[in-house]
Amino acid sequence: MRKFNHRLVARLAGTLLLLLTAAMAAPIAVSLHSHDGVHMALLMSALVMGGMGLVLHNMVGRKAEYELHEKESFWITALVWIVIPMSGALPYVFTGTLPDYTDAMFESVSGFTTTGASVISDPSAIPDGILLWRAITQWIGGLGLVLFMVALVKRLQVGSLQLYDAEFSGTQQRKLHPHIAKSVSRMWHIYTLITAAMAVTLTMAGNGVLDSVCLAMSTVSTGGFMTAHNGLAGYSDTTMLIVTVFMFMSGINVALLYNFFTLRWRQLKGNQEFVVYVTVYLLAAASCTVAFGLSGNDWGRSAQYSVFHIASTISTCGFYTATPTVWPFWVSVVTFLLTLCGASAGSTGGGLKLRRLMTIFLDLRNYFTKMLHPNAVFSVKIDHKVVPTEYVNKIYGFVFLYIMFIIGGAFVLTLCGSSIAEAFCMAANNISNLGPSPLVNSMGANLEYAMLPDAAKWTLMVLMLAGRLEIFVLLAIVTPAYWKKR
Amino acid sequence: MKNQDWKAILRFIGIMLMAEGGLMALCLVPALHFGEYRPWTIGLCAAFTLAVGAMLWVSFGHYRQIKDRRMSYLLVTLLWVTLAVFGTLPFLATGTTSCFTRAWFEAMSGITSTGATVYADVAALPASVLLWRSMSQWFGGFGIVLLVLALSPRLGINNYSLYTAEASSADNTGKTTVKTTETVQHTLLIYLILTIVFILLLLLSGMELWDAVNLTFTNISSGGFSVNSDSIASITHTQQYILAAAMLLSGVNFTLLYLLFTLRWKRIGNRLDQFRSYIIIAITAVVFVSAGLHFKNSYAWGDAFRIGTVQTISALTTTGSVAADTTSWWTPIGFILLMLSICGSMAGSTSGGLKIMRMLILMRNARGILRNRLHPNAVNPVRLNGKPVSDHIINNVMIIFMVYGITMMLGVMGLLLCGTTPNEAIGASVGCLTGYGPGLGATGGFGSYAGFSHGAMWICSVLMLFGRLECMTVLILLLPRFWRRH
Repeated sequence: MRKFNHRLVARLAGTLLLLLTAAMAAPIAVSLHSHDGVHMALLMSALVMGGMGLVLHNMVGRKAEYELHEKESFWITALVWIVIPMSGALPYVFTGTLPDYTDAMFESVSGFTTTGASVISDPSAIPDGILLWRAITQWIGGLGLVLFMVALVKRLQVGSLQLYDAEFSGTQQRKLHPHIAKSVSRMWHIYTLITAAMAVTLTMAGNGVLDSVCLAMSTVSTGGFMTAHNGLAGYSDTTMLIVTVFMFMSGINVALLYNFFTLRWRQLKGNQEFVVYVTVYLLAAASCTVAFGLSGNDWGRSAQYSVFHIASTISTCGFYTATPTVWPFWVSVVTFLLTLCGASAGSTGGGLKLRRLMTIFLDLRNYFTKMLHPNAVFSVKIDHKVVPTEYVNKIYGFVFLYIMFIIGGAFVLTLCGSSIAEAFCMAANNISNLGPSPLVNSMGANLEYAMLPDAAKWTLMVLMLAGRLEIFVLLAIVTPAYWKKR
Repeated sequence: MKNQDWKAILRFIGIMLMAEGGLMALCLVPALHFGEYRPWTIGLCAAFTLAVGAMLWVSFGHYRQIKDRRMSYLLVTLLWVTLAVFGTLPFLATGTTSCFTRAWFEAMSGITSTGATVYADVAALPASVLLWRSMSQWFGGFGIVLLVLALSPRLGINNYSLYTAEASSADNTGKTTVKTTETVQHTLLIYLILTIVFILLLLLSGMELWDAVNLTFTNISSGGFSVNSDSIASITHTQQYILAAAMLLSGVNFTLLYLLFTLRWKRIGNRLDQFRSYIIIAITAVVFVSAGLHFKNSYAWGDAFRIGTVQTISALTTTGSVAADTTSWWTPIGFILLMLSICGSMAGSTSGGLKIMRMLILMRNARGILRNRLHPNAVNPVRLNGKPVSDHIINNVMIIFMVYGITMMLGVMGLLLCGTTPNEAIGASVGCLTGYGPGLGATGGFGSYAGFSHGAMWICSVLMLFGRLECMTVLILLLPRFWRRH
């Protein structure tokens, strides 16, 4: 039996930790600049992270063979997604923003998984350094920690496809480049560019630089951490519009965006998922506008709210603004359904992903036809390509497990004292990495995650990770079959 | 769709109406015996139903064959709707309600053996109406279509297409004999024997004949109506255990029961997969619920176990008899009960829900997919009773699971839009779709659906129909393609 390559696992995790340490430089600089007094604490957490990284990278991971197999790729993904949020929680604890480790961990997991559920009730009151750190965790988590690693560790060639698959699973991506590392680095380039563009536009619209950068990072990664206690209510209409546009954009497949911005428009043709994405968005926004308008809100405001909230939900960003005076149930219903649907496959958003739902829908249509004509044979086609039956089956399996996770999560939440409806909403919101939800809000439930008992917070963390890692990775390492010797 | 097929359908519906009318006529007995006000009302209803039935039967007596496959789908749905429409007569004619929606809800709840009631105080109803409620559940609970199949040699309807349409299609291996007709005759016999045995048992335990007959009818059919306002809470402990046994049996596959009764142990041996899970689920749930009741709701151990057992089995078999006021129970218990009712019991029993057979296939398929991710070259067929399940059936199960889930969710959304509170909406949607009956909040425990708006009642009754006919048969009628000429 081949030995488990633990050296490589350690080395890769170490690399990522070192990188995170480097990323800490920005919050420290901001902290020094704004004199918020947390720079020492931030420096300390950077040192701890760096120390751990060095130990893993240079001592345990020394002489690692760069050969990666399925087992390791699952392990790395799972490990990285546990270790990194754990160390990412340090700054919250050291600076005293969230002295309780559960809270800090919750904030950190919520950040890295781009969920955006926060236990900080008033973000404007926390130090600037921490504010930036929150945004950075989201931004790094947006495309995925492992994807980050793949782009960095150029030597990692064998098996990086499996890594790519582990985090971006189940969507059968068309790769941007036959070479996986190149393809990934292209994705990072476009991701960075969009973030920069958004930050610049926001600054030009009259927002503070720190604010703009934080918002941009939260939006493009579909995270949803906000910098004020009342969401985006305090911002100008222009800002809202910019945020809406970028939220909408971040729900689109990154590869598609790359092709668009590099003017490879011929590649864009015949992408059915994009068409569905736009259609669903427009229909939902229009119907919500009507619902808001009919229930007595100002029509202009209604349109603005709808366009904003639907973009926020479909991309699973999770931003909200001041709620309109009347909040019709229709909007809650639509948002809840969209939460489960989620964004396009291969985007930074969460949820079940439209591509999967399209596959299921097409398969369902075939099924009905088969009921009428039992001997007919059909296949599911997306983008004029046949989706293999085996693959369709996998999608069903995924959706089944997803629902089981929601049910299981909701059950534990009821054990922690939530009502059944609240529990389901929270579970669905967190597994789809949405975060705060208008539906929970409209049911009179508190959005204050801080009020939840610790057990509930840990449950939600598991759900966030399950949603972000698309379940399989998380389940795979707890399967006995995984540990069995072969 | 040929004219002849329509006539055959009408003839068929005529026959079933006559059966319904016959059962209705039996309700005349208590009406006369208890000397109720205007006892002949129910007789008139019965006469009218019989007359319409006879008229259809006589007029279209020659048309025996349904050739078009589509027409058998249509027949199933049409049959249930027609029976429900005529089932409303006793409620309307005796003046217990003057509102068609309410009568329709009650009749549908009866014929689909759901057990959700719109009468806040059941005990105040006249005896004839009470018996009719029980009778309709007994009639519907077993599945009208199975009755249909028993008569099929004379009717000349294509057995097979009906069998796939109504009976649980997951259980392809569950035929006792080659001929479906014989199977149905056997199961009908068992059903009758069970009914008589349980009536006798209840009589022996000291219950009055009236209660014994009604409760047996509603519990052996996994229906759940009662003649008392507090369901089965005020009967003796022994009687409650007897009813629990009746419910437990109502969730067992009839083929298995037949083999058990005829002492064919060997053939039982290799089809126990589903039964084993059924018992394991039941025991685990009973332990959890009893413990929860003891520790969280301060019931004494004896009471906790008794009430826990009755209520768990009632939920698992989607019966809906209530042994205590469940609304004040610890939330996770309510949650578990809802989940049990979604799970349902064995395929090929009178119970509703998704059926354990399907859950097993779903679970094992998910496990297979997981293994496949770890060892991409391994072949992991889904096995049931040791035999591999075909991809076609797996796909079938997946689709029903999806459609079931979507229907449930749309039900919740629809109920929310009709102004129901979120918890009640979830409870009612699950309760009606699975055929459990009681929901959460006002509809849970000894409560009723009396407070629901008309819109909500219609949604609920549609859910009941969907649940009983397992969605696909009804859904296909909604497709334009179904009605197009071929």
